[in-house]
Parts: sequence; structure tokens; C-alpha cells
Amino acid sequence: MLTEKMEEYLEALFKLGGDGGNLNPTRLSEHLNVTAPTVLDMLKRLESDGFIRYHDPGKSADKGRQRGKRNISLTAKGQRAAKALVRRHRLSERFLTDVLGLDWESAHREACRFEHVLSPEVEERLAEMLGNPETCPHGYPIPDEKGNIREPAQEIRQLCDFNANEKGCIARVEEEQPELLHYLATLGLLPDVDIEVKEVAPFGGPLLVKIGDTQYALGREVASKIWTKKRHRRARGGPRWTDAAK
Amino acid sequence: MDGCCEVGKKQNRLEQLEKIRRKAEYVFALAGNPNVGKSTIFNRITGMGVLTANYPGMTVEFNLALTEFEGRKVGIVDLPGTYALGAISEDQLVARRGVLQGRPDLVIVILDANNLARNLYLLLQFMDLGYPVIAALNLVDQAEKAGTHTDQQLLSEILGIPVVATVGIRGDGLDELMHQSLEMALKRDEYTVLPFSYAMDLESRIRKLAQYSKKELAETPYGLSHRALAILLLEQDKELTSLVREMPAGEGLLELSREIGAEIENEHGDRASLVLARERHGIAGSIAAAVQERKTYNKPSLGERLWELTTSFKTGIPILILALATIFVAIFVGGSYLATQFDHFWSSLVADPLARGMTSLFGANAFSQSLNWAVDGLGAVLGIALPFLLVFYIILAFLEDTGYLNSTAFLTDRFMHRLGLHGRAVIPLISAVGCNVPAIMGTRVLSTKRERIIASTLIVLTPCSARIAVIMGGLALFAGWAPALLLFGIIFVVLTAAGLLLNKLLPGESTGLVMEMFPFRQPSPRIILKKTWQRLKDFLYIAAPLIVVGSFVLGFLYETGWIFKLTVVLKPITEWWLGIPAAAGLALIFGFLRKEMALAFLLVLAAHLVPGVMENSPLLDFMTKGQIFTFTLVCAIYLPCVAAFGVLWRELGWKEALSIGASTVLLALVLGGLSHLIQLATH
Repeated sequence: MLTEKMEEYLEALFKLGGDGGNLNPTRLSEHLNVTAPTVLDMLKRLESDGFIRYHDPGKSADKGRQRGKRNISLTAKGQRAAKALVRRHRLSERFLTDVLGLDWESAHREACRFEHVLSPEVEERLAEMLGNPETCPHGYPIPDEKGNIREPAQEIRQLCDFNANEKGCIARVEEEQPELLHYLATLGLLPDVDIEVKEVAPFGGPLLVKIGDTQYALGREVASKIWTKKRHRRARGGPRWTDAAK
Repeated sequence: MDGCCEVGKKQNRLEQLEKIRRKAEYVFALAGNPNVGKSTIFNRITGMGVLTANYPGMTVEFNLALTEFEGRKVGIVDLPGTYALGAISEDQLVARRGVLQGRPDLVIVILDANNLARNLYLLLQFMDLGYPVIAALNLVDQAEKAGTHTDQQLLSEILGIPVVATVGIRGDGLDELMHQSLEMALKRDEYTVLPFSYAMDLESRIRKLAQYSKKELAETPYGLSHRALAILLLEQDKELTSLVREMPAGEGLLELSREIGAEIENEHGDRASLVLARERHGIAGSIAAAVQERKTYNKPSLGERLWELTTSFKTGIPILILALATIFVAIFVGGSYLATQFDHFWSSLVADPLARGMTSLFGANAFSQSLNWAVDGLGAVLGIALPFLLVFYIILAFLEDTGYLNSTAFLTDRFMHRLGLHGRAVIPLISAVGCNVPAIMGTRVLSTKRERIIASTLIVLTPCSARIAVIMGGLALFAGWAPALLLFGIIFVVLTAAGLLLNKLLPGESTGLVMEMFPFRQPSPRIILKKTWQRLKDFLYIAAPLIVVGSFVLGFLYETGWIFKLTVVLKPITEWWLGIPAAAGLALIFGFLRKEMALAFLLVLAAHLVPGVMENSPLLDFMTKGQIFTFTLVCAIYLPCVAAFGVLWRELGWKEALSIGASTVLLALVLGGLSHLIQLATH
């Protein structure tokens, strides 16, 4: 039986694994904001229950490898459990935004609680009522009841592969250079922001992109760090400043 | 600020700021995104002459001025244009230091009405920092023309601060802006600018961190509000994190900030800095949407179409080549025309009567003869250097004001990459064509030392206006346009080779280009003339007197015969290796002070050393066209001038400055020697 904590770990592993990065205890402890020993304890438990593959360097043959570099992977069982959890989380988010009209952030927070308590029956009814949505309000895919993820609309590709006059939406920006990430963010190049490529200089030259009212020239190497998805309709809340001004 | 004389003055802006603080009753800071017309407004308010241009990053240092308004002394700090107040790049850091250490009474944030959402981001950051803020909604005329109407009253209500509509170029609304700012500063105690609150969960976390800071810290760095500090720490701001770490209770605060940051990341799936940035953009965007109404025109404006033409590769490259050719022809034709016109006037009306007058006044002795040299020096300055500089400066100001240089940066990014730079470096490189000194300072916008070394080297090799005057007024005027074009070709090859080589030699990689692109703007004749005058002024007030006095000294050396003792030393290099008269070598050496001086001295020397013949062009009797070519080549390549060298020293360090200097001198001698050898072989 999975405890709530174990579920949190599986969900975290699934999310972190989704963007192709290395899965290691360090990243996990940063992501969940817990200490490394706690993470290691939990990893051992998940491993013995057959949810993940993970070897402790002290005991096994991969002794020589660097600590932080060792990968954790989800087993088929772990994948199933994680996807089910993600499905419950994202379905809950849809429900909370579409039906109850919560804003994105609150929906996310509430869904973190919902995901652990939804029974399979409620989950099924919820999906039915919402018309089996394919994506959560943030645009991420919702796995179906068998755990399959349909990603017809979620083709993720690098901005540098765009042609002139193509439009997309930023999915994520690679994290290796936190400063670049932050700089781009201050310019408004953030995940979930629509982006339009106006011009592409040939021979590996820069791209001319439009975000809102602003045009930027982005070098190829910068554009290759920006991953995009198709544009989606976003849930629209009221203007933020009205409630902020209070 | 273009002037080579400004170098020394720039060193201690913060000290100067302190001085202004003491003298002024109030200090206002001018802030805004790049290219929103901040410097134009600064010039208008203070009556100063800071150079402006339609591209980002023209001002990297902050400018200061003391002015008087409604009987009160007000200090104005013009911060470099920046998108945010982070600690990421030099422009952001300089802007932030100007605010944090300068502690202005008020921050005037200049907003571009054409791009309100993005511009509001910076304003929100200032409000986060807890400064009293007033907004100038600039470029409203352009925005209205483009179909964007802004409800200024509503904007003011939402932000809770005064908003004044301005048109910086015409000076509209600036009196009102200053008036309101002063009112606000006078009633400073009554005003509380309330920062915008973020989403509830973020806000409660910020508050938690701020409360901890309030409880544990005796004082915050720079006297920031606790909320401001909390936000900066959550953004993992490098400077403040390290400042806090050194404080007594700092470690605990950082620990809590890390915890809260991780909480935010866990919930939102992004780093806290990104989440906050997104929030701010969100707030800015919804404010802009609420106060602006826009009609979109289907037909693209002339500026947009021009812009498409110049950035698209197929049309952009031919346009670039055409533009360069036009500039060359314009300088050649325009400069030559002015030079010839001036020459007639000068020799018949000024020089000859003066020479006769002086001889009759002082008698024919060394002194009066030397005065004659000085008059000839003045003639060379006004008759040869000035016409070419004038034409070139007008063209440069025109290009800067239209915004065409932006397109150039976009087009050449790929090429610059080969040289270890990126398109952003094109801008200091292009401004190097005006004067190397500010260009070298402009390399501060580049993020790595490696890029700065490469860019500075290339800048030093880029012919500045003085060298262009030497090439056009010396070589093109006397030997024809073809050799001048050849010389530019050689410089281009040398520049490329140097870049390729440095990119290979220096360790590290080049970073990517991220640059805002600005649409074309209709150039304003007033601004073009003003800029041309600002640059010319520098030449007339500094170079011209230097050349006149230098010519007098040169004449004295000649009349007393000492000059030949000096030239004997130079002979092996000049006559034997470069194949030019030893006296010309002397002119080359003086060119180190100002490059125009090399040409002026050469002309003066020619006029006096060639006996008897004074008609038409004495230079051609003194040197052959081939010799003039070698002379100009050496002059164009070797170390630009003493001011540029000084800036190199200060910006990069003595080792780099000396090695760049030495290698250019060496390169100039090698190329000059080759030119001599080839001429020998072909004759």
C-alpha cells in the first residue's frame, strides 16, 4: 500500500523524469525540500516495494560511480502508480478551475491534497463529468485510466527548429544556466508565454521572435535552450490587480 | 559623452553622486528600459549633452547633473537603461547600484507607451524596493499614431502614483513631470507607495520571510525594506545573498529563504525567481490590458516594412552593402567637395595674408616661421579633417537615430559568432566607428571577460572617425578612391583574422545573443544636428588646438634644425622598412595623441619641406601615392590614440592593454613593410 509520502515521491520522480534530466537523490531532495538522508531512506523503501530501481553505492557493484550522478528510474509498477497520481492531480485541477472557478495557483495547491484521497470510482466520475479532458489547466497532458499519455497537442520542440512565421508557446527553458533563465524571465520569456518567430536568419543565424509587443533577437544557442509546445487556450481569470489593490 | 576627454571624469561616479547629494535639496533618479528616450529626457531636463541613439545600451555608466527647478536645486541621476534590477548583467548592476547607494528621494520611471506591459515590469520592481515612484508615460505621440490609446488617469489610479504623459523629443510634459516630482518629494512623508501584492500564497511567504528579517536583522543592506530584502533573497540575488551572509543573523535568514524558495518551487514547478518574474509580468500585463485600448491596423507601417526588408537575409545583405557603399561615396564626394571649397577660400583669404603679415610684423625669424606652421596646422584641421569628419558624423547620427544599426546586429550575429562574439557586440563595434573610447566602455554590456577582450581588440582595429578622416582626407583625396577602398578592405580582413585568431586562442565559449529589437523611427533632424555638433565640438575644442600648438612646435624644431636629429633615429624604420620620408614617421608618432594629428602634421610638413612648390597638392610632391598608402595603412592599424589606450588600461587591465597596444603596433609595421615590399616588387 502506498502512503501519501511515497506517492509524493513517485509524483516528483515522474515529473523530474519528464523533462529528461538526470534523476538523482540530490535533485529529489532539492525538489521536495527534504534532507538527503530522508530521501535515501524513502528511496530504499520504494525500491524494496518494487516502485523504483536504485542501488546504494556502498553495497553494490557500481561503487566507483559518483554519488550525485547515479540515476533512479521508475519501474513499470512505479510508472503506473505515478501516472495514476498525476491523472488524479490534473483531473482535480481541471475540476477546481473549470467547475469551481479557482485560479491556477489555488487549484494546484488544492489538487495536491485531492490527489491522495480520490477513490478510483470518484476519479472515473470526475473524468466523465469533465468530458475526459486531455490536458490540465496548465496545458500538461492528463494520462488516461490505463496510464497512456496522449500527446498529439503536446509536441515539444526546440525554438531553434522553428521556421519564420511559426507560432508556439514556451514549455520550458533549460536550467543549466540559471542566470540566462532568470534574464530571459525578466524579459518575459517564460513558460506558458506565447511566442512567434518572425524571421530566421540562414546559416545558423539568430531568430527574430515576438513576445507580446516586443521583438527580440535570439541567437541559435539561446533558442535551442527554449522548448516550446503548441499554443493552448488558457483559463482566464479576472485582472489580477483588482484583488491585489485591496 | 563621446569625447576622448571624458575618460578621467568617469572614474568615480558614486563619489560625484555624493557631491551632488550634498549640494542638492533633492535627488531624483531617472530609470527605464533601454531605448525609451531616457537620455533625451535627461538632456532636456538638465540641458546637458548626453549622446542618444535608437539602440539599446548607449548609456552604461550613469550620468549625473545638478539642475534647478522652481527655485530648488535638484540632482538628477540618469541610470543606464535596463529591463530589470537584478544582479545579472553590468547594466542592471550599475542601475541598481545607482539606486541602492545613491538613495534618491524619488525614482522617475520612464515608460514606453508603445510597450507598456514590458515596461511596467521595472516600475513594479522599484515599487517592490520601496522607493517613491512617479511614472512618465513617454512616446505617447508615437503610440497614438500606432493606434494605442492609454488611459493615463486609470493607470495612475491603479498604480497609486502620479503618471505624466510626455514626448521627450519635443519636451512636452517635462515641466509637468518635474513639477509633480518636486511636489511628491516635498510631501514625501505623506506619500506611501504601496507595492503590489503577489498571489496570496507568494505574498504570505514573502511576509513570513520579511517578518523573520525584521525580527533578526538589526539593519538591512542598503537600508532596504524587509519586504524588498525578502523578495530579493527569494530571487536568489547574488549580491544581497552574499551581503546577508556576512551579517550576524544572516545565515538563519538565508536558510529560511532557501526553505521558502523550495516550497514555492515545489508548488509552482519553477524556481522562485521565475515564479516572481511571472507574477510581475502577469500584473504588468493585466494593468496594461486594463488601461490601453488599441486599434490594430492591418497595413504594416512604413517602419515595419523597412524593418522586414533590412532583417530578412535576401534583402538585408544587399541593403547593408548598398548602405556601406553609399556611406563611402557620400564621405568621399561630400568631404572632397567641402575640402576643395575650403582650400580656395583659406589659401587666398587667410593663409597667405597671414603669412605676409607675420613676416612683416616679426621679421623672417624662427618664431614667425613657426607661427606660419601653426597657421598651416589650422588649415589642415579645418580644411581637410573637418570636412570629412562633418560628413561622417552626420551620416553616423542619421543611422543611429533611425535604428538601422539594430538590423545590422541581427544580420551579422552569425559572422560575429565566428569571431567569438555575438550580435550584441556589433553595437559597441559600430559605435567604435565614431570614437573607440566610448565603444571600449560599451563592451561592459558583454558578459564575459573573454568577450570583452575580443571586442576591445576588434574595436581598436576598427577605424574611428579620426582615422576615417585620415584615410579619406589623406589617401582618397590625394591618391583617389580606389586605394582608399583597398585600405578599408585590408582593415576588414585584418579585423576578421584577429577575431578568428582570438576566438581560437582564448579559452572559453561565446554566450548567446539576446537583444531587444527596436522598430525604425523617423530620424529627427534636430537630434542629428545636435549629435553632430556634440562630436564636432570635441574635435574642435581638443584636437584642433592640440594640432595648432603641435604644428608650432614642429615648425620651431624645423627652423632650428633639431627636427633632423629626431628623424635620423626614425630613418631605419621609416625610410628603409616602410619606404616613407623620415619626417612622415614623425607625423605617425604624433598621431598617437590624436589620429587626425598624423594627417595634419603630414600636410604641414609637406607644405614646408618641399621647397618652392606650393601649388595644388604639395603632399604629392613630398610623397608618392604608394607612400601615402603605406603611411595611411600604418596610421590606421597601430594603436588608436592615447585616450583609447587609457580606457583599455582601465577597463581590461594593464597586461591586456599593453599586449593589445604592442600587437597593433607590430601588426602596423609588418603590414606597412609588406606594402613597401609589394610596391618595390611591382615597380
